[in-house]
Amino acid sequence: MSDLSLATTQAISLLISADPDLWTIIFLSFSVSLRAIIFSAPIAIIFAFCLAYFRFPGRQLLIALFNTAMSIPAVVVGLTLYLLLSRAGPMGDLKLLFTQDAMIMGQIVLCFPLLVALSHASLQSTDRRVWETAITLGAPTFYSILTVLKEARFGLMAAIIAGFGRIIAEVGSSMMVGGNILNYTRNIPTAIALETSKGSFAQGIALGLVLLLMALVLNLFLSIIQGRGEMVS
Amino acid sequence: MTKKVHDDNLITSKQYIHNFILNNILFVRNKKLILNDLNVELSSNHFVLMTGQNGSGKSTFLKVLSGLLKPDNFSITYQQKASEAAQSKSKFWFSQKFFLRKHFCYLHQTPYLFSGTVYDNVAYGLMHKKLAKDEIAHKVNEALKVVALDHLSKRNSYALSGGEKQRVAIARSWVIKPAFMLLDEPFANMDKHSRHSTYDTINQLKEDNIGIVLTSHDPHCGELAFNRHLHLYQGKMNENPI
Repeated sequence: MSDLSLATTQAISLLISADPDLWTIIFLSFSVSLRAIIFSAPIAIIFAFCLAYFRFPGRQLLIALFNTAMSIPAVVVGLTLYLLLSRAGPMGDLKLLFTQDAMIMGQIVLCFPLLVALSHASLQSTDRRVWETAITLGAPTFYSILTVLKEARFGLMAAIIAGFGRIIAEVGSSMMVGGNILNYTRNIPTAIALETSKGSFAQGIALGLVLLLMALVLNLFLSIIQGRGEMVS
Repeated sequence: MTKKVHDDNLITSKQYIHNFILNNILFVRNKKLILNDLNVELSSNHFVLMTGQNGSGKSTFLKVLSGLLKPDNFSITYQQKASEAAQSKSKFWFSQKFFLRKHFCYLHQTPYLFSGTVYDNVAYGLMHKKLAKDEIAHKVNEALKVVALDHLSKRNSYALSGGEKQRVAIARSWVIKPAFMLLDEPFANMDKHSRHSTYDTINQLKEDNIGIVLTSHDPHCGELAFNRHLHLYQGKMNENPI
C-alpha cells in the first residue's frame, strides 16, 4: 500500500514538474487519436446517414455488421493490420508498419463501426419532420442533409466522444502496429503497459491519471451536451 | 410555361394564378388502396377545406401533392400544359417531385421548428436563395408581421407555445411564396385563443393569392373563408357544396 502511495505521489510530481518524456507521450497519444477521429468521423456520419435515411438491399445486414464490429478486439485489429503491413504482407511496400500512420489506421478501424452504429442510432431517432420540413421549404438535398445533422448534433457529438474514448485508451492495436517507439509511436496505453512491465509504476500511474482525468472531462462534457439536447428537444 | 399563359393568369404585377390538374393519383400502402385514382383541379386562388375520417388518406394526399411521398401513379397538368412522359415511372417521379416541391409547401400537424430563433426558422427557406442579408431580414420581418409574431423574432423556437409554433411554421412557408400551402390539421391540439389567432392568419393568406388546402375533421371549420370543400372517403374525393 505504501509503495502505491509513494508511486502515486511520484506520479503527481511528475505531472506537475512537466516531465518532458511524459508530456511527449501524452501529446503523441492525443495527436494520433485526434487525427484518427477527424479522418473517420465525417465518413462514418455519411454512412450512418445513408443507413438511416435510404432504403436499399443489404441495409439491415450492414447495420448488423457495424453493430458486431463495435466489439471487435483491438488486438485482432492490430494482428490483421500487422499481417497486412508487414514486409511480406500485401501492403508491405507502403512501409507503414511501426509508424504513427499505422496507429491511426488501426484506430480508424476500431472507432469507425462504433461511430457508424452510434451516429445511425442518433439519426434514426431524429424526427422525420426535420427532413420533410427542410425539403418542403425548398432546401436543396445537401442543405437538407446538413439540417438533419445539425438537429442530431447532440447525439452525433456523443458518438464522436464515445469513439474517441475507445481509441485513446486502446493498447492492442497501437502496440502491435506502432511498436511502442519512444518519442514516435509510444502513446499513453502502450507506455503504461511498458512501465508496468519494468516495475516503474510512477510514470504508469501518472499516465493512468491523465487517462482517468480525460475520461472524467469527456463524460462531463457529454453530460453537458446531453443536458442541452434534452433542454432543446 | 409560355408568356401568353402568364398573361392570362396575371393578378398583380407580382403574382399569377397557378392552375394544376392532377389526374389518376393512386397510392397503395401495404396492399391497401389509400388514394384510389383521384382527379383534382386546384388553383392558387382556391381556399380548400378537405375533410375525411381518420386514416382516410388526407395526410397522404397532401404529402403526395408536396412531393414528399411517391404515388404509385399520377399525372399533372400545369397551366394547361401536361407534364412530359418519361421513360419510366421512377424517372417521371424524380422530375415531378422537384416540380411539386417548388409549388406546394406542406405543413405538419405539429410543426417542427429547427433549433435556433424564430427569425432563423422563418429565414430558413430564403438562406439558399441568392438574396442579400438585408433582403432576407426584410422578408422575414414582413412574414412575422403577417402572423403577428414580429415581437418574438429573437425568441428561441423551443420556448414557443403550440399556437405560436404553428404560426411561425405558416410564416416560414409564406415567406418562400409557394403556389399552395398544405396545412395538415393545423388546429389539432390548439386552445380556443390560439385557434382564433391562427384563423386570422390563414384568412389573410388568401389575400396574398396563395392557395390553401387545409385538412380537418370538422366540416364547419370556424371562421375560415373557404371557397371549396373536398371530402375524402374510401380513397375517393367528392366535391361538397359550401
